Amino acid sequence: MSGQPQAKGSDKISRRDFLKLLAAAGTVLTFTPFVDWGKFLPNPSGSTTDKSKVALPDGSQANVKTFKVNHSEAIIYPISDDPVLNKEAFRTWQFIRLPSELGGEKNEASAFRAYSMVCLHLWCLWKYWPGEGRKRGECPCHGSMYDPATGQAFAGPAALQSPPSNVLPMLDLEVDKDGYLWILPPNWNVNGNGIVGYGRFIA
Amino acid sequence: MAASLHRENSLVRLFRWIYAGVDRTIFMGLKFTFPTRFVSPLGFLGMLTFVLFIILGISGALLMLWYEPILDRAWDSVENINDTIPYGFHLRNIHYHASNAMVMMAILHMYYQYFSGRYKIRNEILWVTGILIGVLTILEAFTGYDIIFSERAELAISIAASLTNSIPILGPDMRDAFFGSGFHDFVLRFYAFHVFLLPIALIGLMTVHFPRFLVFDVPMVMAITGAIMITGGVFPVDMGLKFDPNVPPGITVPEWYLTGLYAFLRSQYDKFVTGVAWPGLFIFTLLIIPFIDKYKKFSWKDRPLVTAIGITSIAQIVVTTYWGFYIDPDRTKSLLDRLVIDPIFLYTVMIALVPLSFGFTYLMIKLAKNAEANAKRQPRKKESVITLPEKWVYFVFIALIGFQIYLNIAAYYALLNGMKNISLFIIGIIMLVFAGMFHIYRHGRSMANNPPPPAIPQTDRIKAIQRSKRSLAESINDKPELTTTSSANPSVGHIKNNGILNKVFKGGRKNKDPYKKMWSRD
Repeated sequence: MSGQPQAKGSDKISRRDFLKLLAAAGTVLTFTPFVDWGKFLPNPSGSTTDKSKVALPDGSQANVKTFKVNHSEAIIYPISDDPVLNKEAFRTWQFIRLPSELGGEKNEASAFRAYSMVCLHLWCLWKYWPGEGRKRGECPCHGSMYDPATGQAFAGPAALQSPPSNVLPMLDLEVDKDGYLWILPPNWNVNGNGIVGYGRFIA
Repeated sequence: MAASLHRENSLVRLFRWIYAGVDRTIFMGLKFTFPTRFVSPLGFLGMLTFVLFIILGISGALLMLWYEPILDRAWDSVENINDTIPYGFHLRNIHYHASNAMVMMAILHMYYQYFSGRYKIRNEILWVTGILIGVLTILEAFTGYDIIFSERAELAISIAASLTNSIPILGPDMRDAFFGSGFHDFVLRFYAFHVFLLPIALIGLMTVHFPRFLVFDVPMVMAITGAIMITGGVFPVDMGLKFDPNVPPGITVPEWYLTGLYAFLRSQYDKFVTGVAWPGLFIFTLLIIPFIDKYKKFSWKDRPLVTAIGITSIAQIVVTTYWGFYIDPDRTKSLLDRLVIDPIFLYTVMIALVPLSFGFTYLMIKLAKNAEANAKRQPRKKESVITLPEKWVYFVFIALIGFQIYLNIAAYYALLNGMKNISLFIIGIIMLVFAGMFHIYRHGRSMANNPPPPAIPQTDRIKAIQRSKRSLAESINDKPELTTTSSANPSVGHIKNNGILNKVFKGGRKNKDPYKKMWSRD
């Protein structure tokens, strides 16, 4: 409109446009704080920065000296004060001591695995079968089978899914000097510990 | 650069296309007004109430993501929202304080319409639906603070259930229908009422209640939003104590919009009369007032009886609201002695307020009419206008933007340090600053349209006259060129655009712009 040019050439701005730009800047700044409010949506309870105990169903902490070879237990991670959340399938993990042929005799973290029990196919709960000739994870719903050493599906519908949805999420474990097992803080990412119910890339 | 703000780009075309499509919708029947200067908010309190309803809808919908309407989890889930979930504290406080603000705004809106006689002239339907919306709003707020299921909520529910039960004939069945049996049902049903049934009923009534002429005042809306956040920052709402049936509850009072009713209940008089009949009578009186108000005029000064009834109701509401809050602080007395209000005393005061309010109204009308008559006799005063020179519009605006940047950093920093209430407070200030900014923007735009008379120093006067004569002569020669160049290519009309031309041909800027310097430094 009533342009009051600032300088020669095309680089001019009328005062009304300048006012408009100021108003736009003010509006953007006013609503900037709300961008961060998006953090309200995701659930923060799954992320922790501390390592936590491998708590067995009987309440004790798993120990390399007492936990049997070729044996598994269902554990809860992350454990909560809320009994309802502790029954949550997405918080149940299959804690396995590998059979001796896969190195389960060693008293170190490499003899243990903790995989999400949520089958990557349709989210039933699979479990580890230690019997001779099986020694694998099996899902009761559609028969997906998982390799206990890697967590990769080798049979059934889950095996037909493209990566990362054919490998189970896995927790990183650590053994302290007394032989007790700990879960390291996870990185819920397909390139890290994986996403429960979705999968993980094998490095 | 300037041209880019005017050019017809694809985004602008999309907006135009959408706007044209809105032609087929109900919204074209509404006439929205965006005030171009400050106007009293009294006239659009209803719109502000609706804005609060929207704020409550958004914050409430977000709270629904975390709230669990289950007997033994309700309070804990609210605690989780308040303490653990990022920005849960903010949203809960906004939701709580906006609910109080909405009730308050609805009451103010009603009384403004009442005293200005706006419920007349075929606005009766608007009034009646408005009263119903008001009642539902209070029920909505009531169910809201009950589903936290703290001690106070449990007491409120038990009182509400016993009042419903006291209704003759239908009472027990209504109690079964609305409350179910036991605490588990209370929580779940109140939740269903709070998040679905009552809001749906409110929206339905609002579609009838909305008049066709609406005012949306951006600075006022932002100021109210900011005020809610600031209140939340200064007075964060507490959690109360989790209700435990094995622990005797302490003394609690309901929210302020129900303490008036609570005062009557505390008189220990019959439950149905105090808790159902009195508020029912109040609501009924409000519903029928447009039909019994037979005055031909609108002003409160010309409707003494109606005004007196209104003043009486305000007096009684104020007194009982305070009375409901007041609990004898003497802890040596028994709980019952501290809580019970002597019914004879209470009702005597209520009756005494009637002649007092009528007398007060009579006095006010006399005074107002006197003042009116005096004002007519004296010459009319000039309207006082705040004038901010145009240069200062930009300076203040830029200063405010700088302040916004500082506040943004401060709010985020406060949050990082776990000071949630301070972060909420600062975000409230950001809203207020935006309100001020918008006001200045509006001022600047109106100045661009009607600039103040040029401040020409006396010594330069002759020169100025000569110059204006010269430019007038120029302008007449250049008339056709100017009209085409104004927005498409401002550089062409550069020099000529500057002077008296605009005044002559476009009603725009006058000669000798005092702020010209700021723009042309060459």
